[in-house]
Amino acid sequence: MTVKRILILAPLLVLVFLLQSYLWVPTYEQQTRGNPDRLNEFIAASIGDASLLNPILTADTASSQIEGMVFEGLIDRDENLYFRGRLASSWDVYEEAYFYVNDAASIPGRGKMPGEEIVDLLIRAKHENDLPDPGLKDALRNIMEVSAIPPREFEVFRSEKIPGELKEKRRIKINIKAPARIKLRLTSVDQDLFRHLTKILGANYFASFRGEQYISTEPDVSGVRLAEYAGELVPATENNPVLVFHLRPNVRFHDGHVFDANDVKFTFDAIMNPKNLSPRIADYEPVKTVEVIDPLTVRIVYKRLYSPAIGTWGMGILPEHILNHEALKKEAGRLGKDPDKFGMRQSTFNRHPVGCGPFVFQDWKSDQYITLKWFDGYWEGPPNYKRYMFRIIPDLLTQEMEFYAGTIDSYGVQPHQVNRLKTDPRFQCFSGASFGYTYIGYNMRRAPFDNPEVRKALGMAIDVDKIIDYVLYSQGEKITGPFVKQTDYYNHGIKPVPYDPAGALRLLAKAGWKPNKEGWLQKDGKKLQFTLITNSGNDLRKAILAIAQDAWRQIGIDVRTDLLEWSVFLQERVDKADFDALILGWSMGIEPDLYQIWHSSQTRPHQLNFVGFKNKEADELIIKIRQEYDREKQVKYCHILHEIIAREQPYTFLYVSKWTAVLDKRIVIRETDDKGNVVYKKITPTKTGNYNFYFNKWIKLRDAPDFSADG
Amino acid sequence: MLSFIGRSIIQKIITLFFVSVVSFLIIHLAPGKPSQVDPMNPKFTPEMVERFRLEFHLDKPLHTQYLYFYRDLFTGKTVSWKDNQSVLKKIWERFLNSLPLFIVGTILTWTLSFPIGIRSAIFRGGFYDRSTTFLAYLLISIPGFFFAYILIIFVVTHFHVPVIGMETFGLGASSWIRVAMDRVWHLLIPSILGATGGIAVLSRYVRSQMLEVEGQDYVRTARAKGLPPDQVHYKHALRNALLPFVTMFGLILPGLIGGSVIIESIFSWPGMGRMAYEAILARDYPVILTVNFVSAVLVLAGTFISDLLYLVVDPRIRL
Repeated sequence: MTVKRILILAPLLVLVFLLQSYLWVPTYEQQTRGNPDRLNEFIAASIGDASLLNPILTADTASSQIEGMVFEGLIDRDENLYFRGRLASSWDVYEEAYFYVNDAASIPGRGKMPGEEIVDLLIRAKHENDLPDPGLKDALRNIMEVSAIPPREFEVFRSEKIPGELKEKRRIKINIKAPARIKLRLTSVDQDLFRHLTKILGANYFASFRGEQYISTEPDVSGVRLAEYAGELVPATENNPVLVFHLRPNVRFHDGHVFDANDVKFTFDAIMNPKNLSPRIADYEPVKTVEVIDPLTVRIVYKRLYSPAIGTWGMGILPEHILNHEALKKEAGRLGKDPDKFGMRQSTFNRHPVGCGPFVFQDWKSDQYITLKWFDGYWEGPPNYKRYMFRIIPDLLTQEMEFYAGTIDSYGVQPHQVNRLKTDPRFQCFSGASFGYTYIGYNMRRAPFDNPEVRKALGMAIDVDKIIDYVLYSQGEKITGPFVKQTDYYNHGIKPVPYDPAGALRLLAKAGWKPNKEGWLQKDGKKLQFTLITNSGNDLRKAILAIAQDAWRQIGIDVRTDLLEWSVFLQERVDKADFDALILGWSMGIEPDLYQIWHSSQTRPHQLNFVGFKNKEADELIIKIRQEYDREKQVKYCHILHEIIAREQPYTFLYVSKWTAVLDKRIVIRETDDKGNVVYKKITPTKTGNYNFYFNKWIKLRDAPDFSADG
Repeated sequence: MLSFIGRSIIQKIITLFFVSVVSFLIIHLAPGKPSQVDPMNPKFTPEMVERFRLEFHLDKPLHTQYLYFYRDLFTGKTVSWKDNQSVLKKIWERFLNSLPLFIVGTILTWTLSFPIGIRSAIFRGGFYDRSTTFLAYLLISIPGFFFAYILIIFVVTHFHVPVIGMETFGLGASSWIRVAMDRVWHLLIPSILGATGGIAVLSRYVRSQMLEVEGQDYVRTARAKGLPPDQVHYKHALRNALLPFVTMFGLILPGLIGGSVIIESIFSWPGMGRMAYEAILARDYPVILTVNFVSAVLVLAGTFISDLLYLVVDPRIRL
């Protein structure tokens, strides 16, 4: 019967054809032996795909990882997290400070003085040797030049919303008759300059300056708006830090075009161009001007003191010749698109980037892989690997399987697997603390969380060590404050809150919360009762939620818990500050700028200080840290700030999680020593735990080398 | 006939309109925002979020947004918010990736189900029938992702070959046949997984259809005439039992675009299902809505085709 035969044979044939394909696929061993090229390529895996490969348009991890290899910034951070020059070979930081001559104020012992006389006064004071105040002495010594700027008149236009109308805006003409101004050039940035100068010029010299009297507007604006314009256009004092980058000569983009200062300026302009919708615009907002002095020198003047600004120049530099206005117009013409609507966001550059980093972009298949090739013209010498593959594998278990099958070279181990893989002889293993922490935050606007003792007691009731041991499989470390643990900003002298339920009860009793007949804590007839919330979908936080609830119940606090969907959690609870306590995490940058999360001005709805932490001392330090350009002083301030936050306990700081990564043992560092011999070294992590800092020197060998001799 | 086609098309267009309105509303009213306007990113200032909202027309009333979206869709100008790529182009690329998986999966399902189902029907109640019944229910009830993991771990640890993705990475320059066979191998496991559920269900259908037909008078007549059993089973019974499956064929059309989120994610297969899933996570409205619209069109087209197939195959039905 033919039908019967067909029905049986057809599936058999299909299956045999499919199964025989197994014979053609290379196994782990064959991949490197049968294919020498495999040794020259590194295959990495990521859970998510990149979105765009343009450093100024993206902020996600996957895109940044590729951008970091294709593009190069002016500076980056070295093994110890200090800045080091990349496209810039060196840089200088100095300051230009200005203040207006205050006609109304009289200088102690000298009366009213015009500009030139103040200049003389300051120069004379600088050369005086027997000044009583050492701070003033240092401040004056730091002044390189003093000069007077004559009064000038100018006008500017602003548009502002008409009160009561939604969309209409009006144009305002502002005439400014600015008085004489004194310009000071300082060798290094000094945030206390004007405070010290008041010792010469009189305590109220700057504070009593009224800018409003020098401006007039058309049409008239009154009161507060006028004062705002005055503050902006005729500020009593102004600090302008200046950053001068000296660029490395003869650096080329991947297409052979020579990199110069215009590319830096272009990158900055592109970020600031509102049409590009760059997510990095906030980082560069404090920049006043970017000037190209000569092809290898860029001078950046800032509007105000803002030390995190230096780090922003680690941003990849875009090639101007491919993305400038004419080039985009041409591209629009070629693609048949409307040139007026065609901007950098629309350009095909975002999927075919050209930078001057160590790797050249080759190919990108969405949700599959991105391929990079080494750049043999890289200024620091090409990397050892000839190819870099970035695979997108959304599932962690499959990533692990691919790692075992040899089609990924590194694998980020999950906490529960660490003990198993750490000792596996096939792999080398690295681990370190991550740049982020998990915490329980208390809404300090609500009782009983307005009492630091209560917050501390709540923290003391939770056994963080147990959380680390059982929830994180020991892959975590305790943390006591909001700085990255590997940096020196973190104050290691601060002891974590101890696990001490009895002590917690004592503290609570001191705050008036005493156990009632049923064992619940009570004050003025009211039970201590609140709700702890977190977002759903995060198993770690869910586990902590249960642990904290249980720990608090054991000392007699009636805690309810709630899990909310992420967006509901944010919009309805966090943004509106409608919660008692919550579990969340922050990821941190290396910069110690805590303004957005801890400053008291950031406590309104939709801002990030949602716990409502307000502390005058902390506010001052946060601003000081932002304005300080001297690392040692910054570290000092950070340590004090860390102490304040640890004392106040606005959060119960729980832990930083540890990451672990495994690599094939055959991957090593290959270097050429001074005599031209090739030397192989074991990959060792830097002090901060970064194991792929020397990635450009990595290579895979045919057989795992034996480093037992070097220990 | 013609009036049936005309009526059916008009009905389907009306349904499509409602589907488009409802899906648009559901997506816009669901909590969450496109990742570009995520308020939890400390780097995003309110002005930037506002600018993105303007750019995406999110500040406009919903009905205007609806018109904007469908105007762009029909002129082929919709772009993804994530990467500014044309949505239709993206869908087409993903469709081509999902297609081989779909084809191999369908071939496996349809070729294997029939012999299995027919044999169980013929030897009803025997050991073979019982064991296939047991297996079918096992496969229906076992979660797909679990089965997938078991299979992957088994293959990787026992055979030491890669199974994830569309090809082996780092294969280098090999002969074309090697590359082709490598791709077939990577197709094999995900499509087997995709097919298991289908085989289990479809073979049950085949069995019950066969049983029903085998009980009919004309089959008994054929047997009584003394025809060999194979001829009775495969000629008289099977032909008539096939009737409902012809219509089922039209309904597999929507499967083309649906893909399988779970299988594609586990095997990191860059297909349609995964794209739609990731678009939902990023609240990339244009991609979600376009996929939704296209699949609605395919579902309606599928039912239309199966109606027509019925007309062609079954002479009893005349409209």
